[in-house]
This record gives sequence, structure tokens and C-alpha cells, in this order.
Amino acid sequence: MKRRWFLLTAVAFFFAGLWFLDANLKDLVPSEGGRRMAGEFASAALRPALTFEDAGMRESGASFAGKIATALWLTIRYAVVAMSLALVIGLVGGVLGARSWWGRPSRALEVFRRFIRLLATAVRSVHELMWALLFISAVGTSPLAAVLALALPFGGTLAKVFSELLDEAHSSASEVMRATGGNGFAAFLGGVVMRALPDLVTYTLYRLECGIRSSAVLGFVGIPTIGFHIKTSFEDGHYREIWSYLYALLAVVIFFEWVGSRVRDAMSQGKASKKTLSADASAIELFQQRGKSHFLRATGFLVAVLAVAGWLFEPDWSSGLSQERRLENFQRFTQELIPYPVRAEGDWSTMGPWLKELLLWDGLQALWRTFHLGTSAALLAGAVALCGILWGARSLARKAPRGVPMAGGFGRMVLGKVVRGSAIVARSFPEFILAFLLLQVFGPTVWALIFALAIHNGGILLRLGAEVVDNASSRSAEVILLQGGSRSAAYLGALLPEGFNRQVLFLFYRWETCIREATMLGMLGVGSLGYLISEAKVRLYFDEMLVWVILGGLLVFLGDLTSDWVRKRLREGEGLPRNRSVAPYRRSVK
Amino acid sequence: MFELQKVSLDYGGTLALKEMDLSLGAGEQVCLIGPSGAGKTSLLGLLNGRVFPTSGRVSVNGEDLTSLSSKSLRQVRSRIAWVPQDLGLVPNLRVNQNIACGRVAAKGTFGLLRSFLAMGKGERDEIHQLLVRMGIGEKLYERTDHLSGGQQQRVAVARALFQKPRAILADEPVSAIDPERAKDLIELLTTVAREEGLTLVASLHDVSLAQRYFDRVIGLRSGEVVFDGKASDEGLEKLYRLGA
Repeated sequence: MKRRWFLLTAVAFFFAGLWFLDANLKDLVPSEGGRRMAGEFASAALRPALTFEDAGMRESGASFAGKIATALWLTIRYAVVAMSLALVIGLVGGVLGARSWWGRPSRALEVFRRFIRLLATAVRSVHELMWALLFISAVGTSPLAAVLALALPFGGTLAKVFSELLDEAHSSASEVMRATGGNGFAAFLGGVVMRALPDLVTYTLYRLECGIRSSAVLGFVGIPTIGFHIKTSFEDGHYREIWSYLYALLAVVIFFEWVGSRVRDAMSQGKASKKTLSADASAIELFQQRGKSHFLRATGFLVAVLAVAGWLFEPDWSSGLSQERRLENFQRFTQELIPYPVRAEGDWSTMGPWLKELLLWDGLQALWRTFHLGTSAALLAGAVALCGILWGARSLARKAPRGVPMAGGFGRMVLGKVVRGSAIVARSFPEFILAFLLLQVFGPTVWALIFALAIHNGGILLRLGAEVVDNASSRSAEVILLQGGSRSAAYLGALLPEGFNRQVLFLFYRWETCIREATMLGMLGVGSLGYLISEAKVRLYFDEMLVWVILGGLLVFLGDLTSDWVRKRLREGEGLPRNRSVAPYRRSVK
Repeated sequence: MFELQKVSLDYGGTLALKEMDLSLGAGEQVCLIGPSGAGKTSLLGLLNGRVFPTSGRVSVNGEDLTSLSSKSLRQVRSRIAWVPQDLGLVPNLRVNQNIACGRVAAKGTFGLLRSFLAMGKGERDEIHQLLVRMGIGEKLYERTDHLSGGQQQRVAVARALFQKPRAILADEPVSAIDPERAKDLIELLTTVAREEGLTLVASLHDVSLAQRYFDRVIGLRSGEVVFDGKASDEGLEKLYRLGA
């Protein structure tokens, strides 16, 4: 790909996006109220609440720490339970969607396989908050609604990614097993699944981390996870409490990310034997001295315990309503999904004009805005990451960048740590909660949403991009440094251009998630699809709500397919395996 | 052991093999040589039924592969080991687990899973014995990708032997490695085949290796046998003209 053209197009898209979104530069300066609020909120960050800010609550003897712990436990529990369901969906869908499972399928089976893949993409196109709204509207606010809302899109994502990982892992080992008389299932298990296992496990843990963030966000639609308390504390003006919740959430998310990266390293590198034994050592001695990771075992055990506890600790999965009431609600909901002119006149031909009116009045504009919101944010995130990599990449931040000794460099090393640390914090914040907080500062402007998406995704892109730079095999950066060039010269002159396609690939991968998140951010009150959805929900216009949900799903679905197509072409240009389209957190930094 | 009668193989218009007649006896050590596209890989594929002929008959120990049910075909295959060019090992499995895969036909899916999760003592000792014989006994529980290239070759040969086969097929086993290791692997393969009385069919690019280690060398070009016999001077002359 021509870099210059790509960059020019990206800049054009960014500014065109800002234009279409009416993002004025003067909106970047918060109002006086906003500034005061921002100041108060920022100063509260240094003094998170250790007890209730409300005097009445303090006197009641309730424990604030206990409240945080309960909310956090619920957040983790819903995420873990949902992931255990999603894993089942992901494994079944992932295997059925994998080319390597079917071998040489007949035409009908190939159609079926593609259908499974599209189905996985379609299920995941609908954001978990949308699923939550649908389920809550249908059966009321219940733990089951929360868990299903997370499990469906996450299951779809897992299925899609598992298929890709399994196809990528297709090796001659499974061919050997088939050629030596093994049945297809055994050959698939031994040759493909085992080969892909480190990637499958790593990706599942990454999804669990995402699940915790999403579970927290479900609080904004009334599920009592940590997001719910952040929202209510905000409404009460208890900023210090918000920070306590945020710190607790960040700690958990960062802990899970840390576990994930250690598991990835342990599984991809393996452990050597504890000590080198002589050639005549007995099999038992060898067994006792074999390399094994206690960390892996402990993690596996804990995750399993967590999943079982998550299921068992729920006293009532339903909404507490009687069976009849639930059924009644559900029937009313399904009735109201039918477009209202059809309901009123019993004539399906009235649906066309109704739909046309909806789309022309609001729908298409909201769709357009949502698209540009996601695109502008992804581009901003990419730009921030490309700049941040220069300071954040480990191999450049060292005293001897890429093994070339240079004078000084201590400050650079510290800066590198600060940049990487900020990126961790940035990507640990759920976009939705970030957007919620930024909106209070900037007022109802689209900038808040763009920044929220850009901060979270910038943190992810910085990490992925820095890994590309750190793992770059070419020696041209060393040559530049040895000739007296600076780190920036090595980055701009060698590392960035060489890894550029890879960076674009990651950008497209994040772009598709930005579009997906953008469909929901409007729920916070800024014109886009999410706004229409929450409006329809408030007015109980379920028929309209369904239209907007489908419209959002379609946008994300198309975005997914576009992104897949672009990334496939980029990979082919790079000479990389075709199928590996999602590559977050794969290779460790050497 | 292997019998080809008037076998042709047609890959959608390209004729990979032309009416080939060939008989490979039990215990014979045969080397296939010839330029790329000569049909070596196709011929090896026919021998364990990975590829079926367009016309003609391929039989293994008198059983016609094309007429077998898939279950019987699997049974025939379970007696023929295969060592592909990249060895076909799973890099992130331990050595003992990779070798256990050699007996996948007898184990079935659950047996394989059991070997992966909790290998029985008998199986473990048997695998250990094989590794000792290969000179890498201490690598029993090592992760396969922690081994050197030469050690991985030995693991692949051990997996083939663990299968208790009647024949070993090796497809260009040395084309991607340095000459010293290539020599080691061919020496290992021919030695174990002789000791166990196995039929060995290997395809090679290297004429001198073929000449040195194999009694019978078959030269292929454009899907036809150009030359078949002991590696005599007369034969070698024909051999060298092969690529011309």
C-alpha cells in the first residue's frame, strides 16, 4: 500500500468526519460549569472515598468497602458466567466455521460453514448493551438478561476468532495423523486444536477481560454492576466515591490483563526441565523434573472455581417476577415489536411507508453520524498510538536502543515506562464509562465520544504497534543508530515504514470495534444510533427500537466484512497467513 | 508390499503419473529421485492412500486401496508410517505426547486425549525406550519446540516407529536442512528400517545420499520411471542425465 495515499485519505476522512459530526473547535473548551466540575472531579482522584460521602449512609453503619466489593464481585461474576456460556458457543461455532474441520467439504457443507461464520459475525454485530436492552424490555431486569446479553455477542466473537485461529493452526501434524489411520476427529484434536491451544486460551482470557469491562457498563442500563454505582454516585455528586469504584474496576481489569499476558508467555514459550538430566535418567526421574508452570495450573484452577462459583452464587436468575407476569411481559413485548401501523391495521403493506419515514427522518442521518464517529475516533487513536510508540516501545526506550549503546537515556527509560503505564490505564477504562465522564466535562458534544473511543483504542493500538516495532527483524534501525542517528530517526526512517502495513492492519481491526462501540455511545445523549435506541426505549416504542438495533447491527456487520477484506489483502501483501485477521496480544515482547 | 499396476494420476488436466507399473517388496529400501514435478510426492501419496489413482490399481499387501471401506483403509494406513518434509510435529506439545500420536489409529480420539492428559506407565516406558534408542532419552518430557532440528528429526522417527509400522514413507525428509543433518537423518532412517525389517520409501533430491544409502533407486521424470535399479555406475550415468 502506498503510505502517502493512505495517510492523506486518513486525514481527509478525519476532517470530513469532524465536519459531518459538527464538531466545533470551540466546543473543546469546556463551559465554566464544566471546568469547575472537571477540577473538582480531578482533585477527587487524589482522595478516593474510603467511606460513604453521604452522612446518612455513614450513620446507617453500612460498609462502603463492602458495597464496592459486592459490586465488583457481581461485575466479575456476570462476566465469568457469561464467558462460560460464550465459550460453549465459541467452541461449537468456531469448529463448525473452521476450514480445517471440514477438510474438503461438499458444496452444501461449504455453504453451511460460511453461513456459520456469517452468523457468528452477525450475532456479534449487535452490541451487548443492545442485547441487554432487548432482553430487559422482554423479561425485565434480571441476572439472566445480563448474562445472556454478554454471552451472545461474546460467543459470536469467540466463534469468529476461534475459526480463524484453528485454520491458521492447520498443520502437517494432523495430516500425518490422518495418513497413519487416525479418524478425522482425533487428527483435528491432536494436530489442529493442540497446535492452536495457546492462542485459543490467550484469546479467551483477553475476552474475559473485555467481559469484565462490558459487565461494568451494563450498570448503565440498570444491572447493578459497578457501572450502576458509578452512575448513581455521579448523580448524587459524590465524585470521590466514583474514583473508588473506578480504581477498584481498573485494578481488577489490569490484574486480568496481567494474568492473560503471563499465561500467554507461559503457553507460547513453555518451561524447560528443572535441571538437565543425563541420558540414562529413568522415565520417573524425567517425569519428576519435567518443566511445568505452576502459574498456569493455578490460573486454570482459579478460573474454573470462579466459573462454578459464578453459577452457584446466584440465588435467583430470573427478575423476581412470577412466571405468569414474565410470560405476559414477554408476550406484550413481542406484540409491540410488530410495527405499529401493522399492529393497528393488520396490514403488512403499511410497513414500507412506516420504515421509509423512520429511515428518512432519523435513521440514515444517525447511521451516517455513527459511522463518522467510529472512523474519526479510530483515526485519532491510530495517530496517538503512532506517536506514542516512539516513546513507548521497549526496544527504543532502553538505554541501548535495539542493542546500540547510546549516552544517557535514563530519562527516556522512565518516559517509556510512563507511556506504557498510561496506555495500560487508557485501555483498561471501558469506553462507555469514559464517554459518560467526559460528557460531564465537555457538555453534550461529540468530542467527548471521540475522545473516549480514542483513549481506550489508542491504548490498545499503542501496545500492539509497539510489539510490531519491538519484534521487527530488520537491521536497518540499528544501522541508523550506529551511524549516529537518533531514536526518532530510527523509528521514522526504518521501524515505522517497515511495520506500516501491520499498523494499518491493527487500525482496521480497532476501527471495526470503534464502529461497534459508536452505535451505543449515543445512548449517553449525543445524536447517533444509540440516542435513537434509548429514546425509543424510554417511550416504549419497541418496534422503532428494533429497527435501530437492526440498523446498528447492519452497520457493524458491514464494517466487519470491510475490515476483514482489507486486512486479508494487507496480509497477502505482507506475505502473512491469510486467515489471521485478529491478532491482539499474541507475541510477547522479546 | 506395494504394487502399482498401470497407475495414472491426473490432477485436472496435468498428468502427474503415466500408466506406471511398480512393485516394491517387503523390507526393501527404495529411494525416489527426480526433478521437481517428476511425480515423487504423488507416488508416495498413492502408497498410503492419501491420493487415489485416476486409473489403475494400487495395492498394499495384496489389498486394493481403491476398493477398501474407509475403516479398512484406516487399518491399512495404520501399518504405514509417514514422515513429511516438515516432520509434522506439534511444536507446543511435549515429546512424549507427539510420539504418542503415532498410534492414533489404535487409540481413537479418547485414547489420544488420555495420552495427552495422563499418559499410562506402560506407554510412557515404551516411548522412553524408543527415545533412548534414538539417543535422546532425556528429552522425554521436553517441549518439542525446545529441541534442536536434529533432535526433532529423531522425535519424528521415534513417532514413526512407535506406530509399529510395516513400512515408512518419507517425503523429501532432508530437502530443507543442512547436509550434515541430512546425512544423519537418512542414516537413522535406513538403519532402523534395516533393524526392524521395514520397507522404506523416501524421496530425495540429493543423488549422492541416494547412491550411498539405498540399494534401489528409482529415477522419475514427468510421471514416468526413467530408471530403476541398484545404484550401479551404469545406472548412475542414466541418473545424471535425468535432469538434462
